[in-house]
Order: sequence, then structure tokens, then C-alpha cells
Amino acid sequence: MNPSLKLALTVFIALEVSFAQVWTVNVALIVVSLILMLINHVSFKRLLYLTLVPLFFSSTLVWSLSLRGSASPHFLLVIFTRLFVYVYMGGLFTQTTDPLMLTRSLEQNAKLPAKFAYGFLAAFNLMPKIKAEVATIKAAAMMRGQILHFWSPQLYFKVILAAMNWSDQLAAAMTSHGFVEGAPRTHALTIPLVARDWWFFGGALLLVQVGLFSGLR
Amino acid sequence: MATVTVNSLTFTYPQRQRPVLDDLAVTFPGGKFSLLTGVSGGGKSTLLRLIAGLTPLPTPNTITFDGNPLSAIAPGKRAATVAMLFQEPSTQFTMDTVVNELRFALENQRVDPAAIPGKIDAALAFIGITNLKDRSLMALSGGEQQKVALAIIVAMDSDVILLDEPFASIDPPTRLTLLQKLVALCTQRGKTIILADHDLSGYDEWVDHLAVLDTGKVTLLSTEQTQQRFAAFTPEQLRLTHVTQPSSALTVSLQGSQLGIAQGKRQLIQPQDLSFFAHRATLITGPNGSGKSTLFRALVRLGKYQGTLTYDGTNIQKLSRKRYAREVGLMFQSATAQFLNVTVTEELDLSRRFGNADYFTAERVQDLLTQLNLADHAEQVIYSLSSGQQKKLQLLCMLIMAPDVLLLDEPLKGLDFASIQVVMQILTTAQRDLKLTLIMVSHQLSGLDDLITLHLHLDQQHLTYEGAAE
Repeated sequence: MNPSLKLALTVFIALEVSFAQVWTVNVALIVVSLILMLINHVSFKRLLYLTLVPLFFSSTLVWSLSLRGSASPHFLLVIFTRLFVYVYMGGLFTQTTDPLMLTRSLEQNAKLPAKFAYGFLAAFNLMPKIKAEVATIKAAAMMRGQILHFWSPQLYFKVILAAMNWSDQLAAAMTSHGFVEGAPRTHALTIPLVARDWWFFGGALLLVQVGLFSGLR
Repeated sequence: MATVTVNSLTFTYPQRQRPVLDDLAVTFPGGKFSLLTGVSGGGKSTLLRLIAGLTPLPTPNTITFDGNPLSAIAPGKRAATVAMLFQEPSTQFTMDTVVNELRFALENQRVDPAAIPGKIDAALAFIGITNLKDRSLMALSGGEQQKVALAIIVAMDSDVILLDEPFASIDPPTRLTLLQKLVALCTQRGKTIILADHDLSGYDEWVDHLAVLDTGKVTLLSTEQTQQRFAAFTPEQLRLTHVTQPSSALTVSLQGSQLGIAQGKRQLIQPQDLSFFAHRATLITGPNGSGKSTLFRALVRLGKYQGTLTYDGTNIQKLSRKRYAREVGLMFQSATAQFLNVTVTEELDLSRRFGNADYFTAERVQDLLTQLNLADHAEQVIYSLSSGQQKKLQLLCMLIMAPDVLLLDEPLKGLDFASIQVVMQILTTAQRDLKLTLIMVSHQLSGLDDLITLHLHLDQQHLTYEGAAE
């Protein structure tokens, strides 16, 4: 499916689910996401991670609500499943979408300015760099007799400094390779946006509406 | 073929009194290879960035290409006019893989999508790196990254090619390949090349003109003057007269058993037994990208390794991180990675608080600062120092910490000749006085003779001690 439409669909459904209180739709969305992830060969380890983390948080949430609040069992069930919908749909999206394809699609199909599209991509590519940078900063501090914890302001000062430095470097790199803000570009790869994408998008949204209305009675 | 003309260009860094470029006027002839030289921190990078349009000009139209300022050239044509290859190989890419970066550059030039694959293949073939096409950029060695960066400039067909110390951490064979390609671009395709380097060695047979940047002004030498200047210059050589095989009397400090180093799936150093000896200065040499920095990161527990590593007989994984970090320290290749504070004084105070303040008294530190030409910069923000000044401050900070074992990753990188002499003298004195164990990786070969007594060479994925038996 076209990455931009897939993103829009995920956001729409997530938004609707956060206002509706129909647990059957939540369960249906969880099952569909799970099946699609399995079809797309998402690793077992990743699935386990996507299950255990929300399980912990939704369990504690439901537990505290049932102890202190006056929430009905129906509401607790909705809250419990809702968290899984978010995580599973988010997981399905990130695990089946190539960031570069999404960037190209946002630029070509959604007509997002190239500056934002490539800014998004650069931020994504920065993730492993930030992780390595934090490890290096901590080691550098330890060699100087200082222990930096994740709450130490100095750690954030250094990471922000590094990020600012990277953004300067990135701007220079993009300029040097011919990128000019607002100037038109050609596209080496075209991301198709075909009728089938729209049908799928409409169909999926319609199904969720039907589910929600019948669930509301 | 484009002539680059600079006219009455004055540039001052923010919050600085003295201009780094002072009413500078020079013409770089079209289709020629010019070598821009001068002391580190003298403004070579600044001049190149101004020519490339990466730093806005203080007064418009002071730099022109065949008479046209860059701002008058259509956005899609600017990269075809001038492009730059950076000193730090890994910082010049936006995308993830080689082919995607090439596509990105060609898309920016509004090249017809149908013509893009052909241009990409031609550029990669010209540099001879067709095999790298689908590789991830971050997994490439520095030398490979510089080749990719040059291939992109070839694909963009830029008239003026600027290179800012492109060989600062590149091994000799890669440097030779890149120089041959640059000369071919010059003679066969009429490209104008301006390469900045503070070190003149190994350029005499390649460049047409020397451009000397001194106190804010550039003097362009004629071909004859250039050759005379080269003839008077003798290239540095690795001359180590005190190196011997490690004797059995030496104490082992760090010991690797079946120690191997890999980066991703690429094996860099085959598993081998390896000893590093206490209270000695050991130099490690070997081609770039062969795994020397990766070995250092493994030695300070910042990277993975195969086999076991012991320090004073104890497995380093069993030592507390805190204690180990104080005993085995690393001077990072990138100076800014070492700093934790804002000003020079704060940084030195931190080192003195936890380091060897008995030896490095306030007077001694002040004296060292003066020797390193840093005394006037005490209250300056570290990040506004030149890269050479940062490197000197970084060395001083780690020396004050005086860990039992100090690993130095390219401690002389980007320093001019005078600075190297001072730094090496300071290092040698401190090593003798404090009986430090120094392990050093350096591409810079001159000035090491007084300090180094052991020499490890990395070749064919194996480290061996050089020199005759004692």
C-alpha cells in the first residue's frame, strides 16, 4: 500500500478509536494487525516485545482504575484493548514501511515540502547515532572521573550540542550535494498512488465505521 | 572550466577581533589543480566554505565563477558549478546507501529520471567503486566514504571541486587513487581543483599551483615557484631509532587472548594473542579502515571484541566500569567527543579535580598552556576554538588525568609542524616523569622518534611487533 495513505489510515483509525468505546472493534483491529504482521514476517522477538510492554502498562492502568476509580468493567476492557490497538497498529506501520519510501511518498504524493520530507528522514537516520553518542559521552565522562546518569544535565547538554553540530553538518552536506530549499527536483523513483490504494483506504475506514456503529447500537 | 576569483574578501568569525581572512584577493586558474596550504586554524576551511557557498559571504559578489557570483546562478546549476569534499568523511551524506545518495544529488540537479541510473554507474566506474553501489554508507571505511563523495561530485559534473584536508585520515594507497582521479578530472575534463592541506608531502608531482594562505592573505605561486618550493621541502618519514622487540623483562599491562575485532560482518583483526606493555610508548600503524580505532574502542569497553582481554591479570569485563575507566583512558580521534564543559578553564579544572594534580600543578598547567599557544584562550568557549586548538586542549586534558594506560587515537591530527613538535615534547616529558603506558595510533609520522620504543604494525588483519631483538 502507498506509504502516505497507510500513515493517514493508521492515524485516522487511532484517532477514532480514542473517542469510541467499542471493545469488539479494538479486538478486531488487534487481530487484523497481528495477522498482517505475521504475514509480513515480523520477527517473533519483536512481536513479544510489542505485546509485553503494553501488557505491563495496560494491566497497571486497569488495576489502578479498578482499585480506586468507579469505572465500569466495560470501560476497563476498552482501556485495556485500546493501548494494544495503538501499539499493534504502530508496530504494523513501522515494521512494514521503509522510511525512505515513506519520505519519497510524502514528498511526491502528499506534496510535503522536500525540506520536511528529508528532515524527517535525517532525524530517523540519526537514531543509532544518538545511541552511540550517549555511550561515548558517558565513557568520556567516566574517564574524567564523572559519572553521568540519564538525568544528568551535562549528558543532555552534550547530546543537544552534538545534534546541533549534526544539523549544521547535514545542512552543509545537503547543500554541497545540490539541495536548494524550495527548488524543484526530479524523482529517480516514483512512488505509485493507484486506485487500489484508495479502494483499500476507503474500504478499511468503512469497515471500522460499520463496526463502531453496530457496536454502539 | 571555471576560473574562481576572490576579490577583497574580509572575514571575521563572530565575537572575534582579528579577521581570519583579511582583504584577500586571489584567482584560481580554471582547469588547474591548486594546493591551498597554510597553518592549521589559519582559515583554509573558512575560505573553502565561503567559495562553496556553505558560509554566506560577508559582502556580496566577492567570489565569482567566470565572473558570476554563486547567487546569480540558478539553484539547480549551483552544484554543477561548485562542490566540496569534506575533511570528516562520514558527515557529508544525507541518505543511507551509496546509490540513494547519488540519486538524491542528481534529483537535486533536476536530472531526467531516465538518465539517472546511467550517470550513477558511470561515476562509480570512473572512481572504480562499482562494487560499493548498494552498500550502507555508515558501514564503509573513511577512505571508501571519501571515494563515494568524489564519485558524487563526478556524477554532478561540478566545474570547481573543493577538497578540505580530504586525506587527513586516509591510508596511502587510497590517497594515491584519489589523487590520480583528481588529476584525471583536471586534465581530461577541465575541472578546477582547489585542495586544502597543511602538509605538503606527496603533492609535488600532482599539483599545478601552490596557494599559500598566510595571515589572512593568499599568494598564488607560479608553476616554477611551486616546483622550487616543493624541491626545498623534504617529506617526513617514519624514523624510529629506539624501537626493539618487546623484551621478556617488560610487564604486561593489557593482554588479549585470541583477541579478534569485527565490524558488523567484516573481520578486521583475526583472533590473535596480543600483549601491551606497561610504562612504554607503543605506536600502532596500519592502513586506514583496518581496525585501529575499533581496537581502541574495544580496549575501553566501548565496542565488541572476540576472545578475552585482561588488565593486570583480571578480565576487564569483571572490573567495575568506573574503576576501569580511570585506569585505561582514551583520547578520542574527534576532539569534541572528549569535552564535557563549556570553557577552556572549566575543562582543565575538571581534569585537575580528578586527575594527577600533584604533578600537574596550576603553574605547570599554565606553562603548558603557554607552550601550546592556548594561554590567551582560557575563557573562550571550547567549541569556538579551531580544530587544531581543540586537539591540543584535548591532549592536555587527558594527560592531566594521567590514567595508567592512555590510548591516543590520532593525537596529532590536523596540527601544524610547530604544534606537533611542542605536543610531542610535552607527551615525552609526561610519559617519562609519570611512567605512563601510552598506546598511540598516528598517521602523522614525524617527531615520534624520541617517544616511541615499541611499534605494532597492523597488516593483513594481524598485529606484529616490529624491530630487531634487543
